[in-house]
Amino acid sequence: MGTRFELTLAAGRSHDLRAAGEAALEEIVIWHRRLSRFAPDSLVSHLNREAHHRAVPLDAETFALFDDALSVWRASNGAFDIACAPLVTASGFAPSATSAEFGPEPRRIPSPETRMRARPSPRSARSTSDAIELDRTRWTMRFTKPGVSLDLGAIGKGHALDCAAAVLVAHGVTSALLHGGTSSVVTIGAPPDADGWRVALAGNWDVGVLTLVNSAMAISHTDSQRSASGASHIVDPREGGARGPAASAVGAPRVVVTGPSARLADAWATALAVMGQIPDTLPAGYQARFENGHAT
Amino acid sequence: MSDGQPSRRDFMIQAAGALTAYAVVPDLAGATSPVPTPPLKVGLIGAGRQGRAIVAELQKMAGVELSAVCDTVAGRLDAMLGRVKGAEGFADHRALLGQRPDVAALVVATPTHLHRAIVDDALGAGRHVYCESPLASTVDDCRAIAAAASRATTVCQAGFQGRSNPTYKRAQTLVRSELRDLVSIEARSHRKTSWRFPSSDPSLERLVNWRLDPDVSTGLAGEVAAQQLDVAHWFSGTYPVRIEGRGEIRHHKDGRTVPDTIDLQLRWADGLALQYHATLANSYGAQTETFYGVNGTIRLAWTHGWLFKEPDAPTQGWEVYATRQQHFNSEGIVLIANATQLAAQGDLKAGIGLPHPSLYYALEDFVRSATTGAPVACSAEEGARASIIGILANQAVIGRAPVDVPVFG
Repeated sequence: MGTRFELTLAAGRSHDLRAAGEAALEEIVIWHRRLSRFAPDSLVSHLNREAHHRAVPLDAETFALFDDALSVWRASNGAFDIACAPLVTASGFAPSATSAEFGPEPRRIPSPETRMRARPSPRSARSTSDAIELDRTRWTMRFTKPGVSLDLGAIGKGHALDCAAAVLVAHGVTSALLHGGTSSVVTIGAPPDADGWRVALAGNWDVGVLTLVNSAMAISHTDSQRSASGASHIVDPREGGARGPAASAVGAPRVVVTGPSARLADAWATALAVMGQIPDTLPAGYQARFENGHAT
Repeated sequence: MSDGQPSRRDFMIQAAGALTAYAVVPDLAGATSPVPTPPLKVGLIGAGRQGRAIVAELQKMAGVELSAVCDTVAGRLDAMLGRVKGAEGFADHRALLGQRPDVAALVVATPTHLHRAIVDDALGAGRHVYCESPLASTVDDCRAIAAAASRATTVCQAGFQGRSNPTYKRAQTLVRSELRDLVSIEARSHRKTSWRFPSSDPSLERLVNWRLDPDVSTGLAGEVAAQQLDVAHWFSGTYPVRIEGRGEIRHHKDGRTVPDTIDLQLRWADGLALQYHATLANSYGAQTETFYGVNGTIRLAWTHGWLFKEPDAPTQGWEVYATRQQHFNSEGIVLIANATQLAAQGDLKAGIGLPHPSLYYALEDFVRSATTGAPVACSAEEGARASIIGILANQAVIGRAPVDVPVFG
């Protein structure tokens, strides 16, 4: 997988822990395969192809994921939007198409004109996810208009970590830390010799070390990942494009979010990085802080 | 947190790159199934990991309703019922058969050694059956399932997925037309896993970890290789006559006796040989089958495949549209569905990659057969033969002695 996932499990018989850890990693692989929009055989690709034509049934976990995603979209006033795939692609974040056997394929960099064309019209600028219809009675998803394309890139890793942690708990693990690429973390209990899992934040934060117990965190910022065209990996759906070099040049804020769920922390970290402030709609149980006290 | 670490979006992008860079083949035209009216009600027996994958694929299909789930382990059953809307739960498959006559089709995904009794009961109750591969863990049980299917008035499909996979179906035609005579075959399955499943209830340890129980497990040869070896049976149109094998525990020295690494050599009557390697100690290369022919080579990897032509092989007209990729010193031809049309649109890459996992196509074929009466993609007889090859291969590994394959009547 493109991101390195690591698990730390404490206590128990070694081969039982290994089996539980393997089950957790398998869970992450399952969700990667389901949520990647670049794999044609993923569930997200299936939804992107089919959900405009018919309501597609979902399992409980996937329904809950989309339900959470839409709740953050509403609460962030569109700053977080899973229907942002065309914008992400236009910003240069297409798959790099590498393989161990065939070598890398050059990534096509979209021109500024292409990025401009991908911008939503003023009429639709804030209305992408409103075309996603979830039926709570039947657990189905439908797109009410054509052209909707999902990208779970800003919430999928946290969701996979939440599901992996649930697998560990189901198999009796009481002490564990899981992370994906160090930017998303979920914890179970505390280490045997401490009162919590300590996670250090690099940079200038008012709290440099977070102590996590049965909680999750996500960090998001606009500087860590750029496309070859210089665009940030975080897009602002409200503006119709990635936050470009100008945004980071003036010190785009980094934000860390903690709370019970890694997937909600993930989604809110992206939303807050776009918004640049902490809204009143941040759910209870979640805390957010910006680097250098940037938050307003 | 330090800078430069992969982002959440990167998680999706980089991982996807390896999946989409190259793909093979298929001709998907005509692959769309008619939507059953009313919906086909399906029951799942076995709510473990494979059962979950089956549910995910069934949920994609229009006109299919997962109506019942059965598992003897309460925790697994409850977990599956929590995932699926509207399915009724059963702890015993006979109760499902008795109380839900409206469930016309059953998918059996229990441990292999439990298949026979369930398939017998389901076919006897007039239900359509999809039985996961391998069909059984003993030769007698394989033959019994094939016999029960031959008596049944409903369909029974064996879960050997290659026969439904569009990539493999296309490759099967190319083996005959492009490779000419087969020279040899290689196949492998590499995974890094203990093959041990966690169980918080010690009383369930043996049931949950049946693959590591030598009394019922057919090992890597039966549980993994059989699926791949069936591709060779299908492509060659014949079965091997002799199997040699050996196995070792190279890595997972946790008290198990079932080898974590095996090597097989299968020989056909005409001298064709297949070399097979499987391990649970290394993941490089994953799962592939390679067919070497006089005029070229086809390499398959379940969602992808390539054709490498010999320099002296004749060129075919369709190659004009082919996408080509370099593989060390060889150039592989990527075959894409509807290549002519896509080439005219200047968008050949849009056809790369199967739109569903291999399992989807096997289940889709089953639903089509159950609703239309069309012949199944892999019959119980073909599945029994493939399963028996896997069982005999495991005997060769365990006994460290060659095993002769009976002539299938």
